[in-house]
Amino acid sequence: MTKSGQMACGTARRMNGHVKSMYFQLYTKTAATLLSLMLMMVFDTTIMVAASRTQQCGNSLLQALKLARLVQKESVDIIRTYKAAQGDLSELICKVTLYGLPDPNISGLEPSEQISSIHTSLQEFSPHFRRVYDQQTDLQLADSLLLLQLNLIRGRSQYLDVQINHVYQDLFPNSPPLVPDSSGGATSLPPPQNVFQQKVYGCVVLKTYKEFLSNVCKYLRTLKNQMCGMNIRRVNKTFF
Amino acid sequence: MVESVPLLRAVLLLLAACVASAIASPGFVNYLVTAPQNPLLQIGTNFTATCFITNTSDVTVDDLRWKLLAQREIPPEQYTKINESALNVTIPITDKTPRWLFCSSQKPAHGRYNSGAYMSGIYLKKGYFPRKPENLSCRAVQDKMHISQFIHCKWEPKQPLPGDFSTMYTVNVNFVNSFKSFNKTTSESSADVDTEVFPNFIFLDVWVEAENELGKMESEHLLVESNSFIKTNPPSDVNIISEDSFPTSLLINWTRPIDETQLRLIYEIRFAPESSYNWSYVPRADTSIDIQSFRLQNLRPDTAYITQLRCKNDKDGYWSEWSNNSTKRTPSSKPSSKPDVWHITLSEFADGRQVQLLCKEPEFANGKIVAYQISVRDFKEKLPNQNIVWERIPNANSSSALITVLKQIHLNNSTPVIVKVTAVNLKGKSPVATIVIPGKENVVSPVQRLEVYPDAGKLLVEWTAPNNTAVSEYLVQWTSGDQVDWQREKKNVRKTFIRGNLERFVMYNVSVYPLYSGWIGNPVQVGAYLEQGAPLDGPTVKLKGKPGCTEAHLIWEEIPKDKQRGFILNYTIFYSVDTDGTKTEAITVPSDTFSYTLKSLVRNQRYDTWISVSNVMGSHRGVKHSFTTLKYAPGEIEGIVVGVSLCFLFFVVLTMLICVCKRDVIKDSFWPKIPNPGASTIGTWSPDHHIKAETSSENCLSGVSVLDVDVCDGKSFFEEDKACLPLKKDKYMSEEHSSGIGGSSCMSSPRQSVSDSDEGGDIADTTASTVQYSSVVASSGYKGQTPSLPAQQAVFSRSESTQPLLESEENPDMLSLEGSRQSRRFPPLSHCEENSDSPNQLEMEAKMLDFCPVGEDSEDGVSAEGQSHEWLTDAPISSYMPQLGGYRQQ
Repeated sequence: MTKSGQMACGTARRMNGHVKSMYFQLYTKTAATLLSLMLMMVFDTTIMVAASRTQQCGNSLLQALKLARLVQKESVDIIRTYKAAQGDLSELICKVTLYGLPDPNISGLEPSEQISSIHTSLQEFSPHFRRVYDQQTDLQLADSLLLLQLNLIRGRSQYLDVQINHVYQDLFPNSPPLVPDSSGGATSLPPPQNVFQQKVYGCVVLKTYKEFLSNVCKYLRTLKNQMCGMNIRRVNKTFF
Repeated sequence: MVESVPLLRAVLLLLAACVASAIASPGFVNYLVTAPQNPLLQIGTNFTATCFITNTSDVTVDDLRWKLLAQREIPPEQYTKINESALNVTIPITDKTPRWLFCSSQKPAHGRYNSGAYMSGIYLKKGYFPRKPENLSCRAVQDKMHISQFIHCKWEPKQPLPGDFSTMYTVNVNFVNSFKSFNKTTSESSADVDTEVFPNFIFLDVWVEAENELGKMESEHLLVESNSFIKTNPPSDVNIISEDSFPTSLLINWTRPIDETQLRLIYEIRFAPESSYNWSYVPRADTSIDIQSFRLQNLRPDTAYITQLRCKNDKDGYWSEWSNNSTKRTPSSKPSSKPDVWHITLSEFADGRQVQLLCKEPEFANGKIVAYQISVRDFKEKLPNQNIVWERIPNANSSSALITVLKQIHLNNSTPVIVKVTAVNLKGKSPVATIVIPGKENVVSPVQRLEVYPDAGKLLVEWTAPNNTAVSEYLVQWTSGDQVDWQREKKNVRKTFIRGNLERFVMYNVSVYPLYSGWIGNPVQVGAYLEQGAPLDGPTVKLKGKPGCTEAHLIWEEIPKDKQRGFILNYTIFYSVDTDGTKTEAITVPSDTFSYTLKSLVRNQRYDTWISVSNVMGSHRGVKHSFTTLKYAPGEIEGIVVGVSLCFLFFVVLTMLICVCKRDVIKDSFWPKIPNPGASTIGTWSPDHHIKAETSSENCLSGVSVLDVDVCDGKSFFEEDKACLPLKKDKYMSEEHSSGIGGSSCMSSPRQSVSDSDEGGDIADTTASTVQYSSVVASSGYKGQTPSLPAQQAVFSRSESTQPLLESEENPDMLSLEGSRQSRRFPPLSHCEENSDSPNQLEMEAKMLDFCPVGEDSEDGVSAEGQSHEWLTDAPISSYMPQLGGYRQQ
């Protein structure tokens, strides 16, 4: 817009000096008026967006971030407990790599895709937690701390999924809601395993989950920074 | 709701019709059908029921009646006739409405036979619509290192509603913007909702539904973050660190009860000196962040502090309980304030006084005071500070609350002394405290007015400043017995509470000293009680000396100070007047009186006395003391004896004097001169003259008495009257045939009377003009009572003497009987003249009475009368006969 104004001024200058002068004054006045109007609109839009983002970051996103930190911390704790419960081979079994588990990384380019990816991963981890819990039920005492923590992390995972869904609805209210999928998504549960395999499987699931939560925390922290107070100017840049 | 009522009613009617048709089947006959069946009714509303007549024409609507419990008939005003076969009734539903409503026929035939066919009933199930649950609150407590999965919610009402419906409550916990939810149903007013895992950081929607058969009510919704429900454990492992380099600070460390990833906490810290438990709170702004250590500052050195913490969620939530006490003492430092030096005067002498110097530890001792350093010198002695000689006095007191006696000094009246004291602890010396004790000649003006009174459980001291404006501070001192304490006040203070621990019912002498830059002014002192009570004891009263006849002097002593318990207003002396003590007199005397004299007492009376001591709160009576007043005052008996003796002596002397002076008169009275008949010149008319002479001589020896008879002497008159009254009667009866003054005895017959009305005047004339004398010839004994004996030969010799004629002359047979009795038995003649018709008659009667024989006197009247009667029969042969003849001859 500003660029087109300058071109107009150049054309008038080439055409007639007197007239050019008159047209120049006329265009200058009009351009200033339009510029003021646009600046006011841009400023108002920025304020509205910032207010909207501040409101959003103060509710579901912050709560999701807090919950993700809690779940991540608990995932660290449960790995420690898991290793302690598995005996001498604990370090060895946790270094094994398995396939078919949920991807700990967050996919997608847009926030909606990324949040949807988090939701999907959480959905995918749910059957694996159930499998590990069942396997460890045979290996641990009924009142063992590991079983308690496995139960806890499974419940927390569901709550985190609820909270991620909430964030998604807050940030993208016009998008279709995230669909719950209890089937495990793209991943599949492993076939029957022996005890060693069960131990390896459980540890890998928990390590993968911990890695996933670490990524979720990073992402949510970034998203919070983008949405909340200190990064409002960065958000505003996208509108200029 | 209102629109659905007609529709519901129509449905019910239809159902009733169906039921009626079904009932009309063969085998079971019922001609009345009611609708609706089993209604659910809300108390406080109206209920309308319909009764249908089916399959019969015997009954009309007019025959139908509605009843409650088959007894209470509903008034027809509440009926509504729908048509010829349907009747409505409307009743209000209350909590007292019976549960059964009946419709029946009133026809008599229907009541006796087949009555069940003409009756139909409705069971009324009634109750209240559920109340809206209010005051919903939920709480989740910490369980080990996590929050419990159970959310405990409670609400009101707590009591179930009356009625037939039980209300069930359902607590719903929903995740906001999610389908995730939990709930719990209960009939109580609280429930624990199981959330499997506590939903940290998730917004929850919590509400309660109350539901019964009448409907459902929903409480307000709680839309909060789940962490707002959390109540954690208190902080643990509270550790307090004391650092020597910071004597006014303590560092607190603790462990948070739950991980910060679950909950962000804020804290509250409070601390108090161990001795007081007066809590100070750290401002919330300093602890409203998630911290795990805090430094308490501006504390007092060498003071033990108790510290407690609690925590809660940083936004909403419940405070945890306070943590356990954690105690730590701050490091000590050198005293930061002066010791409090004072003095008391122990004794005063002519040239000075003995003063004891006292000291309290500095307010900020900052450690244990191990010793004091003191310097005492004349005020006029100028010495630089470095040349002051300090005397070290170890501090023996283990507690800072006690007062240390520094030393005793002797002060001259003319020389003021200056006293300097410092307190020493392990870290150093305190600033120097200075007082100047003036001599008596250096008087400084005291405060102008001092009042001490209790206020709000303390003693309030109020004074007016002295005229001298150089006052630097005031010192308020209070003493009780040998206890002394004091406090200092700033110079602008005019009113203060005594800060010491004063006891109730104890009198304190409160003094206010103005201090002029350490120079002690004159005090003003008043007494005061923190609280007064009734005296605990009464004074013991006793007598001073012995009680008198009408007065007693009582003395008593002031009761001990510790038992007065208040300002004594007065003493009341009680003493009982009656012997049984029911009536007492009371005398009130001022409180400064310790003796009193009871006056106007009754002689020889026992008194109980006691004294009651009174103050504003009551009185107490002392021990009772008893005494008895004297019947006679000391010396009174002696006075009476002396007086009586003197009177008697005077009487005796007077009598003797009279006897001496009037001995002639007395002699004449008692021993009248009786002419010697022997010397009489009258001729001897008796034929036997020598006998007459012997008789005269013998008569003188036997004694001649003057007859002094007084008939008015009541005693003698009545005594004689008993014996002689018959005689009198007889005398009057025999007046017509007796005459003369002839002698007669008491036992003489009426004929022997000497009075005669016809001859009275002659006799009187004869008696008055001529005194007859007769000589009495004594016979040999008494013979008058033996009339049966031969008549004695009476010998009469008429004397010419002027001596009155003796009775014995007229009644010689009675002569020997009488003796000394004559003088007391006969009344004076003068009275006879007044009370008798004739003096001679009375005289004769007197003679008759007096000359009773001994035997008659000693016997009763009956025997005497008997004798007289006996004697009367023999009277004609008495020896008096010759006398009559003789007298007449005269």
